[in-house]
Amino acid sequence: MKEFNSIEDILDFAINEEQMAADFYTELAGKMKHQEMKDTFEQYALEELGHRAKLEAVKNGKKYQVSETKITDMKIGDYLVDVDVDKTNITYQEALILAMKKEKIAFRLYNDLASASLDEPSKKLFLMLAMEEAKHKLRFEVEYDSNILTEN
Amino acid sequence: MERSEEYIKNERKQEWRVELQKMTKAKDRMSIERVQMTEMAPEERIKSQRVEVNVGLTKEEAILEAKRCMDCVNPTCMEGCPVSINIPKFIKYIERGDILEAASVLKETSALPAVCGRVCPQEVQCEQKCFYVEKLNLPSVAIGHLERFAADFERESGVISVPKLAEPNGVKVAVIGSGPSGLSFAGDMAKLGYDVTVFEALHEIGGVLKYGIPEFRLPNAVVDVEIESLRKMGVEFITNYIVGQTASLDDLKKEGYKAFYVGSGAGLPRFMNIPGENSNGIMSSNEYLTRVNLMGADSEESDTPVLRGKNVVVVGGGNTAMDSVRTAKRLGAERAIIVYRRSEEEMPARVEEVHHAKQEGIEFLTLTNPIEYIADENSRVKQIKVQKMELGEPDASGRRRPIPMEGSEYMIEATVVVVAVGVSPNPLIPNSVEGLEVSKWGTIEVVKDKMQSSIPEVFAGGDIVRGGATVILAMGDGRKAAANMDIYLKEKYLSKKVEL
Repeated sequence: MKEFNSIEDILDFAINEEQMAADFYTELAGKMKHQEMKDTFEQYALEELGHRAKLEAVKNGKKYQVSETKITDMKIGDYLVDVDVDKTNITYQEALILAMKKEKIAFRLYNDLASASLDEPSKKLFLMLAMEEAKHKLRFEVEYDSNILTEN
Repeated sequence: MERSEEYIKNERKQEWRVELQKMTKAKDRMSIERVQMTEMAPEERIKSQRVEVNVGLTKEEAILEAKRCMDCVNPTCMEGCPVSINIPKFIKYIERGDILEAASVLKETSALPAVCGRVCPQEVQCEQKCFYVEKLNLPSVAIGHLERFAADFERESGVISVPKLAEPNGVKVAVIGSGPSGLSFAGDMAKLGYDVTVFEALHEIGGVLKYGIPEFRLPNAVVDVEIESLRKMGVEFITNYIVGQTASLDDLKKEGYKAFYVGSGAGLPRFMNIPGENSNGIMSSNEYLTRVNLMGADSEESDTPVLRGKNVVVVGGGNTAMDSVRTAKRLGAERAIIVYRRSEEEMPARVEEVHHAKQEGIEFLTLTNPIEYIADENSRVKQIKVQKMELGEPDASGRRRPIPMEGSEYMIEATVVVVAVGVSPNPLIPNSVEGLEVSKWGTIEVVKDKMQSSIPEVFAGGDIVRGGATVILAMGDGRKAAANMDIYLKEKYLSKKVEL
């Protein structure tokens, strides 16, 4: 498991993760055949850059708190088959699956890092990051639940 | 043909209406109990796909039910009708015994009254706005049953009226798709004097009314009569013609079509994307119902049979799921089971359909979700791994979301699985017409209430815009589009000043 020497180290790692996610979506947008899916992935990329900006603000001294409220895990993505990211005609349903799965992986990573943290400030920061990813995932799950599984 | 308040009020003051109002006291009207539609016995009706469940009202029943209608000064029921049927007027004609007049009132604004009388969710539309519900907390006037009665009476009488048509103006318009939205649009445009051609990709006209809704709910013959009415109004129908493939919109423009209405529907099935979903024996409700409804797969002699099985599992809780599972029962399934992720309370299917399904012996596994299909050595589905669900706390939208219960997984046997979790818009037109703005959901973007797309001569409505809605909402879109296309075409080609 990756080792972190300081809070700043953790934040740099998380900021880089958000940037990588944005780059991933930008690349996907570039190869989509249909404009509406290009727009969708560009929007996802922008959202990731928004998350990055939030973390940068924390790095620059903005206070953060770990919310006591439990974020619902609908676990929709857990049971779905992976999306082939090499194709150029990804549907919106597949885009949501992709996003749910990516956010879940990020959530698990930060949760694991929180569990492995020995000092309280690092643990708190990782938990905050995990909660953020859980919120992002829930936003995609709710959209999937409301608009894809319309009759289920 | 939109209705002003003044028009409605004046209609209500007509002598014959006033006479009827006086004839029966309000308290006597209110003391009449809502009529119950006679139904075929479940054990009889499940023997055939073609036996209609609801039998319809007798003339006596219809007149008695019509008497319940208070002929309100402010008929709130009309606010609940997406196609603005003059509800009290047609009902009062029934009370008077003038059923053919009642039918002709329906046709003033609805191209498909016999269809709507059968499949519209009146309980959440006009009937929900009825005086009885809103003010008395009593069952509403059975508007849907009466609509069906009047339309059926006319059809069976053989005296089928054709609505009044404007002088032909020689302007050609094309309709893409012959579902409820396209038919409603075609009817209104024909009334306005346009030269209307409907292009249908399949070999039958009617779209989802034919391929999607089983005959035990909506007999094809009923749809055909309504289509015949449109033919009599001058609407031309061309089948086996895929706009976007057989010809493009540009090709049709060269043939003289000045504007287009896209009502190509939501015929693209959605699957869940869970492991094993590609196994043999798992199909979409679109495929299952189309094979039976349109291609006669319920007959043993069919050239295009559908897979039958002992245990048929249908995933979903909408009307399509109910149609599929009840079809499976009629095709001989020993167990026909609905698997639905939420509880019965949240089911999007009409209460009546769920009730009929239960009467027919359909099993319901609610708060249950498939997570994997298990196939045999021939890649044929044999089992489904399902998981129990529970509803979480209401979220910001007030909706309770289903959440899996860890460790609750178990197997159910399945020889055939029908997936009815939702549908997507048909992608052909959205993907093939340059400059047409499309949403991320694949629906065509239109100006709300005008139904005009990013291409001025292209209008769209129904499921290709909504992504999956009801027959009547699709019809309402068709009417709005016709009214607005008329304005557009008059300004552009008929040099008439039009008041907006």
